[in-house]
Amino acid sequence: MARFLIRRLLWLIPVMFVVAIITFVLMHMAPGGPFDKDPSQRQVDAVTQKALNAQFGLDKEEWLDFAALSKGDIVGFFDTQFFTYMIGGTVKGQWRCGFICGNLGLSFRQRGLTVQDIVLKPPEGKAPWDSKAGYSLRLGLLALFFAMLIGVPLGVVSALRQNTPVDYASLFIATSGVTVPNFVFGIFLIIIFAVFLHAVPVVPTSWDSPLVWILPTIVLGFGLLAQTARLTRASMLEVMRQDYIRTARAKGLGERVVVWRHMLKNALIPVVTIMGPALAGLITGSFIIETMFAFPGWGRQFVTAIQQRDYSMILATTLIFALLIQIANMTVDLIYTFLDPRIKVN
Amino acid sequence: MKKSALFAIIAVFVALVVVACGTPAAPPAVVQTSAPVIQTQIVEKVQTGAPVVQTQVVEKVQTVVVEATAAPAAKEKVLRINLGSYPDIVDPQKSSFVNEIAHLNLIYEGLTKFNEKLETVPGAAESWKYNDKATELTFQLRPGLKYSDGSLLNAARYKYSLMRNIDPHTAGEYAAITDEIAGAPEWRGADLSTISDEDLAKLQATVSESVAALDASGQPCKEGADGYAQEDCLTLKLTLSRPAPYFHTIMGIWVSYPAKQENIEAGGDIWWTSPKYQIGNGPFILKNMEPFVRARFEPNANYWGDKAKVPIEYAYITDSAVAFQAYKNNEFDIIGLAAEDLETVKADATLSKEANIYPGSCTFAVMFHQKKEPFTDQKVREAFAMALDRDGWVKDVLRGLGAPTLTWIPPGYPGYKASDSWGFDPDAAKKAIADSTYGSVDKLPEITDTFSDTPRNRTRNEWLVSKWKEVLGVDVKLNPVESTTYTALTKDQATAPQMFILGWCADYPDQQNWLSVYWKTGGFGERIAYSNPDFDKLVDEADQTVDPAKRADLYQQAQDLLIKGAPVAFMWNNVNSYLVKPWVTGLQLTPQDAGWAGAQVPTSIDIDASKMPSQ
Amino acid sequence: MASAAVADGRSVNQAITKPPQSLWVDAWHRLSRNKAAMFGLALILLFFFLAIFGPMLAPHDPLKINSGKGFLPPAWMPAAWVSTDNVGDPQFFLGTDSIGRDVFSRLIYGARVSMVVAIIPTIFITFFGILIGIVAGFFGGTADNLLMRFTDIVYSFPDILFFVVVMFALRDTPIGDWGNGLILLFGALALVNWVGVARVVRGSTLSIKEKEFVEAARSIGTSDRNIMQKHILPNILSPIIIITAFAVPRLIIAEAVLGYLGLGLRPGTSSKEFFVTSWGSMLLEGQTAINAQPWMLLAPAIAVALVVMGFTFFGDGLRDALDPRMRGTG
Repeated sequence: MARFLIRRLLWLIPVMFVVAIITFVLMHMAPGGPFDKDPSQRQVDAVTQKALNAQFGLDKEEWLDFAALSKGDIVGFFDTQFFTYMIGGTVKGQWRCGFICGNLGLSFRQRGLTVQDIVLKPPEGKAPWDSKAGYSLRLGLLALFFAMLIGVPLGVVSALRQNTPVDYASLFIATSGVTVPNFVFGIFLIIIFAVFLHAVPVVPTSWDSPLVWILPTIVLGFGLLAQTARLTRASMLEVMRQDYIRTARAKGLGERVVVWRHMLKNALIPVVTIMGPALAGLITGSFIIETMFAFPGWGRQFVTAIQQRDYSMILATTLIFALLIQIANMTVDLIYTFLDPRIKVN
Repeated sequence: MKKSALFAIIAVFVALVVVACGTPAAPPAVVQTSAPVIQTQIVEKVQTGAPVVQTQVVEKVQTVVVEATAAPAAKEKVLRINLGSYPDIVDPQKSSFVNEIAHLNLIYEGLTKFNEKLETVPGAAESWKYNDKATELTFQLRPGLKYSDGSLLNAARYKYSLMRNIDPHTAGEYAAITDEIAGAPEWRGADLSTISDEDLAKLQATVSESVAALDASGQPCKEGADGYAQEDCLTLKLTLSRPAPYFHTIMGIWVSYPAKQENIEAGGDIWWTSPKYQIGNGPFILKNMEPFVRARFEPNANYWGDKAKVPIEYAYITDSAVAFQAYKNNEFDIIGLAAEDLETVKADATLSKEANIYPGSCTFAVMFHQKKEPFTDQKVREAFAMALDRDGWVKDVLRGLGAPTLTWIPPGYPGYKASDSWGFDPDAAKKAIADSTYGSVDKLPEITDTFSDTPRNRTRNEWLVSKWKEVLGVDVKLNPVESTTYTALTKDQATAPQMFILGWCADYPDQQNWLSVYWKTGGFGERIAYSNPDFDKLVDEADQTVDPAKRADLYQQAQDLLIKGAPVAFMWNNVNSYLVKPWVTGLQLTPQDAGWAGAQVPTSIDIDASKMPSQ
Repeated sequence: MASAAVADGRSVNQAITKPPQSLWVDAWHRLSRNKAAMFGLALILLFFFLAIFGPMLAPHDPLKINSGKGFLPPAWMPAAWVSTDNVGDPQFFLGTDSIGRDVFSRLIYGARVSMVVAIIPTIFITFFGILIGIVAGFFGGTADNLLMRFTDIVYSFPDILFFVVVMFALRDTPIGDWGNGLILLFGALALVNWVGVARVVRGSTLSIKEKEFVEAARSIGTSDRNIMQKHILPNILSPIIIITAFAVPRLIIAEAVLGYLGLGLRPGTSSKEFFVTSWGSMLLEGQTAINAQPWMLLAPAIAVALVVMGFTFFGDGLRDALDPRMRGTG
């Protein structure tokens, strides 16, 4: 077990590096740069652009500085955009450690702020979980709880009462969660709950009350709920027909025991498979939901960064996303072994 | 089963509470009291012929927002505005985006400012004077000006801000606007990686002489912190590299706003995010700024002029449909009115009275690249311009939110003159094609219409293309590109597309901003390779003329020349369209309003609490 | 539960009395008896029909701009906003969009994109996902490790960035031009989405490969390839079908989101083209106009919902029908 964990953790490093390389390549292949603003705004003039490029290190070579190498400058050889970001390089004349030291880089658009400030630091005087990352983490967890709490029982009941109205009803609920795109779903929920019923404000003035979290959670989690319900149902149906279930019943075990101890554990395997990456996806935020509810998370940041070509932000969030996925998958693999002892983790 | 289910439920509930109620101290927002309200609604029954008054009892119950605050506050008078997207940076010398300016205009004030008629009037400076040749501009500041924290505001502060704007280390995005100051372009354009420290210091010194802060006797003010505390340091003398009698107007925009040096240095690169450091001299104080959620401004008691009457709150909802719902729910007092919602608003008895639609500050045109065929031929450009039904555009596509135009400078701005050149004339358009070097539509090379791909732009450009097909019979290809890609393409003459829609909005109300800055060789018109030496001559002369009448005339001649050459197809002027609640009073609407209705003159705004719905 | 025992009991009897049938005939019998699945199939076929025969069925040219008739409500409704000049025009069954184009006609033409998006990338996704998932799960060890890390990498990096580059760089090439950028879109969608399938397949493979019948097959010397193909694959069909069925709406919606970000199909300029508009673009246009003409949003949303429901029900039925354990029942 320990060996497994260590090996997976060690694998993190090369995977992250490969992700960084690919992202870096793609980023710079995309036309335009961080100082190419929205077409409706006034653009930066050439002189300022040059100064800005110098300030942000965009005048350095991207990968390897061969010109420096030819002058025998080994340090300069690696003083390029990629290495400066990942490991360290000169920033405004001084050597600064990069990503591996936790320095996620300066944002190109929100000038002056570093990515860690934007994403991980809470506004003045507030707690750590009020940072953008914190908000998204909370919403993601809530959505996951919501999805599992309702999705799994729904799937189980559906399977146990297959082809009855209960089954069809829950299937319908589950399906509607996936068929309606979340921005349509979201706006209708807002109209119903905020405008007609006045249960919540359309635009929350503050995110400190639990009430305003309900709608975003539902909209974010509903898709996963649908998937979970369906997967659980299918899985349960599968397991229900296994021989060992028949044996258990033949042994005279009560139905409840059969369902809980024998069916559920095995039925949950495919569900657990999607939980890991789903959670990572939920935590990294959803652009659409954050825009609609003006939710102060980092999902919107990420998509806007790509549009704005904010290189540090893109790299940082991609790498964090990659890290979360890795951890999520690792956890999923671990959970496998608990659920099905026959799966050996090697 | 029961025990584990119970446990699960408790766990979830605990998690919910813990997760959602993250912060220990909840800032008291506007608390909505809950009480069933009996409202009397008058319902008219038209069928009987005479209106019958019926009393309906409507219960409106609003749930209490659970917060750990003390006694519920009385209905607070706050002007709640939905601004749109959150600013990238709120720093006077680094900002450029209209929403950023909306923040800066509240916190600071320049030497001059613009009144409701867009005239340049005294701001922090009570008067100014040019020398004969308009190469020197001297401002006289009001005595006793104070920052919102009570500290002294004098000319030394403005000197610092202007220097900071030009300083190459700042790399301000609007820095070019003060290039008329002697020495500014050289210092600003210095290559920091190669220049020696001495040379850099020399360039800085030149500019420092051009921006001189003087005391009552004409001597330079003291340096540093002493200078900031010097009470008689009230004169600011600017030396310009060439005559520029419009420069006092430029001093009204945000690039010279006097942010405090100590604060900038203490706060570092992120000084602007904290209300502690954003101390300004404007009509409002920044109380707090929660990124992407809210910003709050309180009236500044230390402001020299008319004091603001109500606090202001900005929100940052970018989804217009959501903002509209929130407005209807009385959560906002001013929001932008989107074209899609116009019908709904016009048809609603209440909402239609709340709509404020008035001329804006921008002109949009279909740009033709003068160096890419077939738009190298003026006749082809004329043909395309004359094939455009601008009235139809405004009616169908803009849904009435706009005004057609055939000239460059928009109405309401100095230098506006309506034109009738190249208006909608299908027959003349067809003839122009016949008269061009191509002779007929079939001989035209492939034409592509490039645009930034958003749903709105799609419908717009699809409309355009179908109209050109209808009138001229030409097949124009649609080329939507991602928005940043679009910007990158349109920035450079080599990559700029054959044909694309672009607009220009006024930075300040003067012809120089519209004509010289844009169309002079080397200006923004360079992207489509527009260059007319006659135009340059007229505009250069106009820039340097002091006499206002002569100046206006020269600019007019230049504009006429511009239109005659049909370089682009001038299409429409935008309008400002906002929904404003009836209890907001004292709004002064100007075309230059940055971000919200009445933004140009915020101090006159008040809220009549008697008109607000009781909660 | 009593019913399961009865079902099993019945199956034993039937297995004895009925002659043996092939898996597929058997499956079809069961499928055809499943009402929900047949309903789903009917929906799918309906939309395919619309997609192919669109031009003959659409009452109007989907690109024709009707001046002055923007935001008309559906023919049977008064306007969402009450006004005397704009009521539902019987010509326009579902109303018009912002510049007066008929929503119903656009809906029909839009079916083409969605149906094709439903099929082609899905084929690739399923194929690659299954291939890589089974190989990884079956062989385990280094192969598994490498393949899973590869999927991690693919999963981790931002699809949107990938789309920006692919769409822009290749847009002006012949590939990009075909079908207004549709092929490009498919390729990009497929490349990014196969990972989910691979992971699920791998998980199920891991679970199945330890079962006795696999051991048995191995012991009689069946080749790895045959084991994977004939023993493992049929038994993991269930989650595969579910995931695939869920991939379809995701792809349709992904197309919409991409349009939102400026990376979707090029708008068609002439209704003679095959791909003129898509439900995804209609959804996006409709979202801003929700207060003026809600049917601009409702129409494509309902269409998407119906198609997805069709695929889902049919997929469910397919799984039920193909489940080897159900052989001989019903």
